[in-house]
Amino acid sequence: MAVFDTPQEAFGILRPVCVQLTKVQTTENVERLQAQLQTVSDSALQELQEYVLFPLRFTLKTPGPKRESLVQSVVQCITSILSTTCVKKQDLLQELFSELCLCLSSPSGLQPPAPLSEELKLTVIQALHVLMHSAYGDIILTLYQPSTLPHLGFAISLLLALAEQEKAKQIKLAALKCLQVLILQCDCQEHHRLLDTVETRQCGNLFASFLPGISIALSRVITGDIKQGHMVTVSAIRLFYQTACLVIADEQLATITQDEEKPSVEQSRLSELVIHRGPDWVKSTAGKLSLLIHKIVEFASLHPHWKVRMELVELVYHLMLKCSQSLVESVGHLLKALVGLVNDESNEVQSKCREILRSIAERRTVAENRALADVLSENLHSLATALPRLMNSQDDQGKFSTLSLLLGSLKLLGPKVNIVLNSAAHLQRLSKALMQVLELDVADVKIVEERRWGPEDSLGEPLGSLQHGKGQKKYFRFFIDERIFLLIQQVCRVLGYYGNLYLLVDHFMGLYNESVVYRKQAAMVLNELITGAAGLGVDVLHERETAVSTEDLKGTITSILEEYTDQANWYLTTSIDTEGTSDELTVKHSRVHALPRGAHSSSLISSSSPSSDPSPTIRSMNSNIWQICIQLEGVGCFAYVLGKEFRLLLASVLYPVLEKAGDSTLLISQTATGTMLDVCHACGYDSVQNLINANSDYLVNGISLNLRRVAHQPHASRVLEAMLRHSGASLLPLVEDVIRDVLSALDQFYDDRASSFLGVLSTLVAALVQWFVVVKGKEHPQEQQSSTSSQKQGKGSVITPMVQEVEQFFLGYIKQTQIAEGNLPAMEEEEEEVQAPPPEPEMNDTGAEGETPLPAHAQIAKDVMERCIHLLSDKSLRVRLKVLDVLEFCVIVLHLHENHLLPMAHRAWPALVTRLINDDPLAVLRAFKVLCTLAEKCGDFLRRRFSKDVLPKLAGSLVTQAPVSARAGPVYSHTLAFKLQLAVLQGLGSLCEKLDLGESDLNKVADACLIYLSAKQPVKLQEAARSVFLHLMCVDPDATWLLLNEICCPLPYEPPHPSLQPVKLGGMGRQRTEFTDNVLGLLGELQRRETAAFQAGPQEAPEPQPPSLTEALG
Amino acid sequence: MALPPPDPQFVLRGTSAEVHTLHFYCGGQEPDYPILFSGSSNGLIHVWNLKTRRVNTILDGHGGKSVYWVEAIYGRDRLLSQGRNQKICLWDLAEGRNTVTDSVFTENVGFCKCSLLKVAQGHWLMAMPGKDLDEVQVLELPSKTSVCTLKPEADAKPGMPMCLKLWQPDFGSCPFLLAGYEDGSVILWNLSGGKILSRLACHQEPVMSLDFDSEKMKGVSGSSEEVLTVWSLDEQQNLKVQKTHKLVNAGIADVAIRQDKKILATAGWDHRIRIFGWKNLKPLAILDYHTATVHCVSFSDHSRPSERLLAAGSKDHRISIWSIYNPTSGALHCPLETRKPD
Repeated sequence: MAVFDTPQEAFGILRPVCVQLTKVQTTENVERLQAQLQTVSDSALQELQEYVLFPLRFTLKTPGPKRESLVQSVVQCITSILSTTCVKKQDLLQELFSELCLCLSSPSGLQPPAPLSEELKLTVIQALHVLMHSAYGDIILTLYQPSTLPHLGFAISLLLALAEQEKAKQIKLAALKCLQVLILQCDCQEHHRLLDTVETRQCGNLFASFLPGISIALSRVITGDIKQGHMVTVSAIRLFYQTACLVIADEQLATITQDEEKPSVEQSRLSELVIHRGPDWVKSTAGKLSLLIHKIVEFASLHPHWKVRMELVELVYHLMLKCSQSLVESVGHLLKALVGLVNDESNEVQSKCREILRSIAERRTVAENRALADVLSENLHSLATALPRLMNSQDDQGKFSTLSLLLGSLKLLGPKVNIVLNSAAHLQRLSKALMQVLELDVADVKIVEERRWGPEDSLGEPLGSLQHGKGQKKYFRFFIDERIFLLIQQVCRVLGYYGNLYLLVDHFMGLYNESVVYRKQAAMVLNELITGAAGLGVDVLHERETAVSTEDLKGTITSILEEYTDQANWYLTTSIDTEGTSDELTVKHSRVHALPRGAHSSSLISSSSPSSDPSPTIRSMNSNIWQICIQLEGVGCFAYVLGKEFRLLLASVLYPVLEKAGDSTLLISQTATGTMLDVCHACGYDSVQNLINANSDYLVNGISLNLRRVAHQPHASRVLEAMLRHSGASLLPLVEDVIRDVLSALDQFYDDRASSFLGVLSTLVAALVQWFVVVKGKEHPQEQQSSTSSQKQGKGSVITPMVQEVEQFFLGYIKQTQIAEGNLPAMEEEEEEVQAPPPEPEMNDTGAEGETPLPAHAQIAKDVMERCIHLLSDKSLRVRLKVLDVLEFCVIVLHLHENHLLPMAHRAWPALVTRLINDDPLAVLRAFKVLCTLAEKCGDFLRRRFSKDVLPKLAGSLVTQAPVSARAGPVYSHTLAFKLQLAVLQGLGSLCEKLDLGESDLNKVADACLIYLSAKQPVKLQEAARSVFLHLMCVDPDATWLLLNEICCPLPYEPPHPSLQPVKLGGMGRQRTEFTDNVLGLLGELQRRETAAFQAGPQEAPEPQPPSLTEALG
Repeated sequence: MALPPPDPQFVLRGTSAEVHTLHFYCGGQEPDYPILFSGSSNGLIHVWNLKTRRVNTILDGHGGKSVYWVEAIYGRDRLLSQGRNQKICLWDLAEGRNTVTDSVFTENVGFCKCSLLKVAQGHWLMAMPGKDLDEVQVLELPSKTSVCTLKPEADAKPGMPMCLKLWQPDFGSCPFLLAGYEDGSVILWNLSGGKILSRLACHQEPVMSLDFDSEKMKGVSGSSEEVLTVWSLDEQQNLKVQKTHKLVNAGIADVAIRQDKKILATAGWDHRIRIFGWKNLKPLAILDYHTATVHCVSFSDHSRPSERLLAAGSKDHRISIWSIYNPTSGALHCPLETRKPD
């Protein structure tokens, strides 16, 4: 299609259509004009703009009713003209503006907008939009004169009405968009003329008149039906803040002076419309706006669509940026929105919020604006006041946002938080709120119930290595969500970060001491405060000016720790069955009185009274457990905060923590173990073991001091146990000192504290075995005996057995060669020879050699053994059992020092025998084990005593029990009697061998055990009995062979010559009996051994069968 | 109601020998930690860091013979130590050194501890047992020149000096020496004239130790018998017995008055440390921790009264440190206590 570039050509084309339209105003004509317009170039059209517009405007202005379609096409045509041209005359602009507005108004002019079709409305709005954009240069400003105020007002009210009342989303959006253009805040791509400050101020003045209308209408739009779509809400919000920023921006208001002359307007009615934005006006407007903002914030922050929430964030941002002074009253609401949205579920919103918060904080709007700080602190106060109530009533989500708000306010206040804290009332509110919120749920019975069993696992392997800051999962009364706890944690840390540490610590320490109700929470808060003060794990908006110095931190931490580990706060009743609870409590009570510390004392006594309640309830014990755990976690926190500096505090802290690591309540011991790990990492030790080793001097100090107090002895012994378990032989010199203390304490309280000390003693001797016996044995497996030769004291005693060995070897060798040569010595002689050595040790026993000084560890073992002898006859079975354990270890430690062991064994014997023959089966069992060890270490020293005191009884009981076990059912193997039988049978064999028993005793043993070879006996007993015989075979193979053959003889022994009498053995030709299987098995084994020995070295081994045969026959 | 006895604040272990003497040095400013010097019977001097409660350095300079007097001089950098090898050593401890820079040979073989008095900046007087058994020699330090030799007249026969205390009245410049002798008497010497000013026979047994309060002009002495004697010095320079206190068990190895002149501590042969109010010798506490004779007691000179400590060294190889009757700890942890000493 041809384009007419010159105005002349264009005029030629357009003239007829325009004339036609002027004459006959129909839609067709308008459309024709529209069509012609397409053929005209933009520049030509610009020249002819007014000409072309005339018929159209004429059409609109023609009085009388018009068809809507006509109006619509006319307006469309105008729009298309305007969109390609610009309006250069201000008259034209104003006229067009009002003509277009009139299109929408109802004829009566009172009830806008007219009930027109939606299409028309939309067209007109778009036309207005285009008109505003087509205004050329400064012309647009002519619309914003006081004189045009009514027009403008009319347009705005029209558009607002449309935005508010129309159903169609498109119209709403278009109206809002148009409004945006009207207030000169169009955000479209086109270039807009930027206003200078004076012009901005003028516009501001002008729009001040509309602000109430716009803001109210918009707030209605915003809070309208959610179904209107998020776009509408978003643009309404945008428009709202843009308008507000235009009118009450701080910058503008600052330039408005009181005496500023009113715009010179001739018409008095107009001058009434113009508003002077003086302070009074600002104040009242801000008050009204504040209400609206509050409404908007409430609504929008819960809007389901994230874009709305995002726009809300923008609103906050702009208002905070531009109007933070004028809108001071609303700042609270604004921040609330912002802070609440920091944890929004949409990431975009979150990050935007964070960014804005940071920028607000960075610009120090808060820090420099006293009024704002006041508002914030007032906010904080009311929030703190409401917090407990909210915590009670809200759901977790609500609690979460409430706390977010609290946290946000604190963060924004930053260093100004001290203004709040310095006010006693505020601090009181805040702290009480925290106390209530953090209240723990202590109804759980399980915590008290769960006990730690077995001391072994205490520190060795970290139980699921607790990481710092994790701690035990706590159960709170008012919330479940873990995120809420994290928020509170942050609140405390932020407080610690910005706040005056001394003030805070002092205050919360006061609460800690004030009542047992607050104690746990206060401790929790204190832990977090310190962490925050060190700047660890705290998320803040801006850096504080001065960090707390390490020295200050250390001082604070030291005083907190002192309080934590104070008797009244550290030794709490956590279970009913603790041994000696009663006297512990009484002691504690008296300590409290003995340690009155000025004003402090009264609270101490009153606060400790619940714990010293004679019958602690589950609840109170549970609470105590938690308190200890929290304090332990605190120790971990503090270590984390101080790092290596914490090493200095170990002197006072390590002992109490280790003490708790051995606590019998599972939760406490776990927490303490975690704390140990934390401390270990913080102080730069590789392992808990290293930590203990490197600081054993501190521990020893603690142990020794605590041993002096009856009530703390069990704790002290627990710590010593833990220490022993984790350190090496190098510790011995240090420990030695304490062991003396332990032993003397034991001597003092042997009747009622024995069991707790025995724990230590058993750990001690077990450690000694580990350090001095097992380790040495491993290092020099073959030199085990000579290892002590390095210790000059042991020399004499060790060499004797070696000499004896060598001697015996040669004696044996000579004998064997003689046998090989057929020179058989008489049986009696041999026996005598074997029996010859035993008297010697007994001589030694009485001799003066026992006086030789011992190495330290052996001396300790000896001292311990001495106590054990006395305690062997304790009235409590548990103690007796424990003593037997300890005794066994002592024997093992001492076995290298026979000169000391034998006298001790001699002294221990009577008591041990009583245990063996006249005690509870459990004790018998244990005592028998000790006996086996003792026999192994002392050897034939015990032979006579054994055969005289013990063997008859043992054999007797075996014989009497045999029919019982033979008859018994499968359950029998779970009974104590069975275990006892089994143990005796298992141990008896090696005992015979070790003690080198005489023939008659061996016969006794064999007789007693023979019954157990019966197939009727439980399998295990049969096995054990077989083992006895296997041992007997070693001691005396021939007698054993004969005995077995008496029962059952598998082979006929044909005499080699008929002149010899036939061999008759008791078992020959017997029917298969209950014993047959076992006996045959044993005989087979015997045969195998003998042949093996024969083949290995016929000259060394005794002749297998013939001699026994001869003996049997003889 | 029998209240439990107080406990030591902590116990230092590791000397592995009897502890014969203790001396605090807490004068340093913050980065410096308070120090306790201890001399033990194996000839070693341990330098304890009271902050970490651990041994910092071990000084070995007395050939394995027991050390029975140590005192810091020139701040913490120099140390005087007297040992049974008849030597008084001057140690240089600055910048981590530990060398003997100077020593004085004493011809005396007794157990008498020296006494040191600062007379001017950089000048000290040191009283030490002299060559003759009953003689006391006073040296000027650091020059080591003999100032005077104090020898009782031939007919006095007080026996060997057992303990010495140099002091100087606040107003006058002339220093005095108080010496306790074997026969149980305490003699006040005037150093300028070398004359006996007063002699007080206050014990039946040898005087084991004494301490003197130059403000109140009264002193205290303990001997191997079960009596603690307080005597005063009047205007005419006469010593007079003011009060005696009877103990249950005999033997006081050491006495020490705290710097603030409020309390007095004694080291007992009965393993106990006793605390008395200095004003009226009121028994305040019995500190029972050691398991053998207590050889020495010493109060720290910490600038902050609240951190002042009491240390006691014993035959059981341990040094117990007590925090007791300190102003900030308010009321007292003591069984016998009824009110705060003033």
